[in-house]
Amino acid sequence: MTTLTLTCADIVRYLSDYLEDNLADDVARAARDHIATCDNCRIVLDSTQQMILLYRDHGRAQRLPLARQTELFGRLAAAFSERRPPGQG
Amino acid sequence: MADRRQHREQPAVTTDETALIAALKQREPQALAQAFELYAAVIYRLALSILHDEQQADGVVQDTFLKLIEHIDGFEGRARLSTWLYRVAYHECTGRIRRAKPLLNLDDFPEEAAVMPAHFVDWQTLPEQALSSRETADQIQQAIDGLPPTLRLVFILRDVEECSTRQTADILGLTEAAVKVRLHRARLALREALAAYFEEYLHR
Repeated sequence: MTTLTLTCADIVRYLSDYLEDNLADDVARAARDHIATCDNCRIVLDSTQQMILLYRDHGRAQRLPLARQTELFGRLAAAFSERRPPGQG
Repeated sequence: MADRRQHREQPAVTTDETALIAALKQREPQALAQAFELYAAVIYRLALSILHDEQQADGVVQDTFLKLIEHIDGFEGRARLSTWLYRVAYHECTGRIRRAKPLLNLDDFPEEAAVMPAHFVDWQTLPEQALSSRETADQIQQAIDGLPPTLRLVFILRDVEECSTRQTADILGLTEAAVKVRLHRARLALREALAAYFEEYLHR
């Protein structure tokens, strides 16, 4: 049985599938073997995961200002209650 | 592999959304509050990332929910409520862009080649303040604003809002394969932009 070996370029190509656990078992194993001995690829993987978390925190901090939310919801609630369900007027 | 992926995808309609749709059809006031609580912030962020204007993003939230109120009785539940809302919001945004700049098409941005990693600074060695500073937050924003919109939207839906590949494809009208390619390119480009910034940070 031949053992699959991956290059750094392969790791970059499979990066997203690796992070999402979408690789076939033999490819995933070869990727893990490569990363265990290649510092640059380990760093690329780790930093990609960290980058995603940074963006998740950063992105989700953006919110409608509370006063605007309240005003907007009030208007929507009025429109919602004015519209009767079918068959009720 | 396809089978493994399918198991992780969320069901087409979740029980919670089915109950919420039924309550909306009955005009239960708390149903609208619940829908607003669940989806308004995501719609706002999605719109902000496309339009870069808080007032316009606010308008997109309003118009999306007005469409929900208008169409709820005909909602058949083939699509998830969240997918339907985000797709409406996305079309509201592209409609606004088309009205403001009729010649601009979000899909016209060139398909750039994938960015290959060239900065290998280990983020584990960064001081805590490097990750949480105001300056870093600005860099984070600049890097994502610098992405072509086609990549930016896929990244935001998949990695920031944690939509599934299928849901993202449905919202943006793309194939799942296109979503995967764009997400991969967006991740490589954003990682590279921040890695270059952190490398410079460590050498100050």
